[in-house]
Amino acid sequence: MLKAFKKAFWYETKSIKNSWYKTLLITIFPLLVFLLIVAIFKGGVARDLPIVVVDLDKSKLSRSILYNINATSTMDIKYVKNSTKDALELIETSKAYAVIIIPKDFLKDTLLKKNPNITVMLNTQYILIGKILTSELMSVSMTTSAQVEYVNALVDTQNPEIALKSVAPIGMQITSFFNTYKNYYYFLVSALLPAIWQVFIVITTLVGIGEIFKFKRQREFFENSNYIAIKLLGFMMPYTIAFMILGMLFTFYIYSQWAFNGSFTVLFLAMFFTTIAYQIIALFIFSVLKFDYAESLSMGSVYTAPAFAFLGVTFPIYSMNGFALFWRDMLPISHYLQVQISQANYGNGVLMELDKFENIALFCLLFIPVIWLFKRKITKVLV
Amino acid sequence: MTFLSTLKQEAKRIFTDVTIVLTIIGGVIFYSFLYPQPYLKQSVSKLAISVVDYDKSDVSRDIIFSLNATAQILVAREDLSEEDAKKSLLSDEVKAIIVIPKNFKRDLAFNKSPTIAIGADSSYFLIYGGVLEGAMKSILTQSASIKVANLLKKQVPLGMAKESYSAYSLNIINLFNKNNSYTQYVIPAIFVLILQQTLLIGLGIFGGGINESIKNKEEGYFNTAPILYMFSSRVIVFGSIFFIHLLFYFGYSFELFEVTHLANMYELLTFAMPFLMATLGLGILLGTLFNSREVATPAILFSSLPLAFSAGFIWPIEEVPEIIHFVSMFVPVIPAIDGFLALNQFGAEFYMVIDSYAILWMQAISYFTLAYFFFRQKRKKITPINQVNMLK
Repeated sequence: MLKAFKKAFWYETKSIKNSWYKTLLITIFPLLVFLLIVAIFKGGVARDLPIVVVDLDKSKLSRSILYNINATSTMDIKYVKNSTKDALELIETSKAYAVIIIPKDFLKDTLLKKNPNITVMLNTQYILIGKILTSELMSVSMTTSAQVEYVNALVDTQNPEIALKSVAPIGMQITSFFNTYKNYYYFLVSALLPAIWQVFIVITTLVGIGEIFKFKRQREFFENSNYIAIKLLGFMMPYTIAFMILGMLFTFYIYSQWAFNGSFTVLFLAMFFTTIAYQIIALFIFSVLKFDYAESLSMGSVYTAPAFAFLGVTFPIYSMNGFALFWRDMLPISHYLQVQISQANYGNGVLMELDKFENIALFCLLFIPVIWLFKRKITKVLV
Repeated sequence: MTFLSTLKQEAKRIFTDVTIVLTIIGGVIFYSFLYPQPYLKQSVSKLAISVVDYDKSDVSRDIIFSLNATAQILVAREDLSEEDAKKSLLSDEVKAIIVIPKNFKRDLAFNKSPTIAIGADSSYFLIYGGVLEGAMKSILTQSASIKVANLLKKQVPLGMAKESYSAYSLNIINLFNKNNSYTQYVIPAIFVLILQQTLLIGLGIFGGGINESIKNKEEGYFNTAPILYMFSSRVIVFGSIFFIHLLFYFGYSFELFEVTHLANMYELLTFAMPFLMATLGLGILLGTLFNSREVATPAILFSSLPLAFSAGFIWPIEEVPEIIHFVSMFVPVIPAIDGFLALNQFGAEFYMVIDSYAILWMQAISYFTLAYFFFRQKRKKITPINQVNMLK
């Protein structure tokens, strides 16, 4: 039995060594995609988002408001236009994300206490950008408006302290939990890398098994229909090791920069089960699709490619509908990600994570039909 | 070999290939239903929060009531202490905590400017932004009405007090996707990506398969048929299938998922034409480069997520590194998403997307030319004898 395992293991290891394609699939390709994602999100926060301004007042006050806006790290007044129409054109071509219109006689109206309006038109098609700009503009406007009110109140009351309090009768103190820097780098990258990783596991496993069948090496590899399960495990093992190394690599990369409160042992245990689960799923797809290599690749990509959307990272899980939650449960990576998040944030013991481990382990049950289908196929081939 | 017989041969080879048919027909339809699923509730509203009210006065009640009345917030719990509230935040029951301090009402009356503390989970920008927006709005409104009341106390007439409680106001208008719907955010762009990727995979599998057949010295039209005929046949077959997909996605699916579509059909299709041609060109080019049927799916699949995030609709294009942005401009989907969003989502005039339109045509021309020379080279190398036949 051990001999069968060893033989299958070395057979596949050698085949990886002899094929540049398989070698790249477990090294350069995933690393390259990881690197691209990391590079795209390197900044982490949105900075210097281009803004267009239509200043019809051109007063000291309007200029100071615009100065305050430009002084934020998020916004950059890149364009100044004389008409709203010209400004909107920049929005429609995505050259700027917001138009700020300061009306005529703005300064005069504030002095006359007429409460004039600054109009902001936002491109909220890009939700992330829209949200960032809304809160940033609200807070800039609050401060600037308060400064004006303070001066007015000071004139009325002649008492700086009372003047200050009358400007803002209720104070606000805002704290953010978990993602203290409001940095999306950690948040997106820590989910994107596992999502990419699972695509590679399924595809690479399919390439491995697919090439055996495509080049008619079943006979050579299986020899007889004994110990099919052991031989399949031997086939899987080189890839399991490769993907564990890749997984550990991105995990250590992510948590070398961000706090990790849990145990890496627990996380890597979950990673091991997830790797095995995905490999078994790949074999399942392959055997159910009648051992057709190209077709299984298509199915494997349909299954793994949309995973990121279902992880609940950009869009919260509790706002998803029943089908989305079902599809999400069908992806081992979503259970893995829960372990990753809870380990990073709270560091629960293995026992607390048991339900997630169970969920991942359940996928391994697919190994039973896989063995059965392979046995049937191999027996047929060998006859 | 005539054009019509080449077309027939190519069409036969395409439609008898289960994998290709599954990818370019089954896959495209399946994705159009699967991808929008997570976002069907569209927006994140009524976020559960916990309020810790240490004051328990009528004023604090008022504030809680007005928080609950905003679209963004649902006061799901009232905890007795911050510790309790924090616990429910950790167990994911609530997404934010708002603390109203003791003696809030009294301090207000004494003009002491008491502070309300807001703490929100900032992991999700939708949640963080939503809670903040709701809380700030309702607290600012409260603040304003207190200012008005204070002014009234000073015998300022109501009309004037209402206007002068703040120096100026900010009037924020959401131009497109007014309700911050997530479907509106993701679908119009991701659908363009799905169309491109499935078309590329289909053409890649097909081209790779032909190269494999040539290498294995199989007999067939692909050894002798003029390259121009072969490529035109592929353009006709794949092109018409994806033209229908385009109509299906931009027509039926947008309607089904209630996505805005401002462009008129004529302009949309005019813009879609070079997108389709550029993608066909790139797909045929990749097909001539792949050595087997099985390279296309992985190669194109791996590019999906990096492409989605460098397209600028999820993550600001200003943050994407210059070099990645430059390289990505060679992929049809990047200028295409720009153009489609402008025309269909923002209602831009056609002349505003002329840059993307021109880039797509240039891509189409370059990819077809490159594909022609690569394939000619490849065939020459492997089947020198047939090359002579072809010249006859």
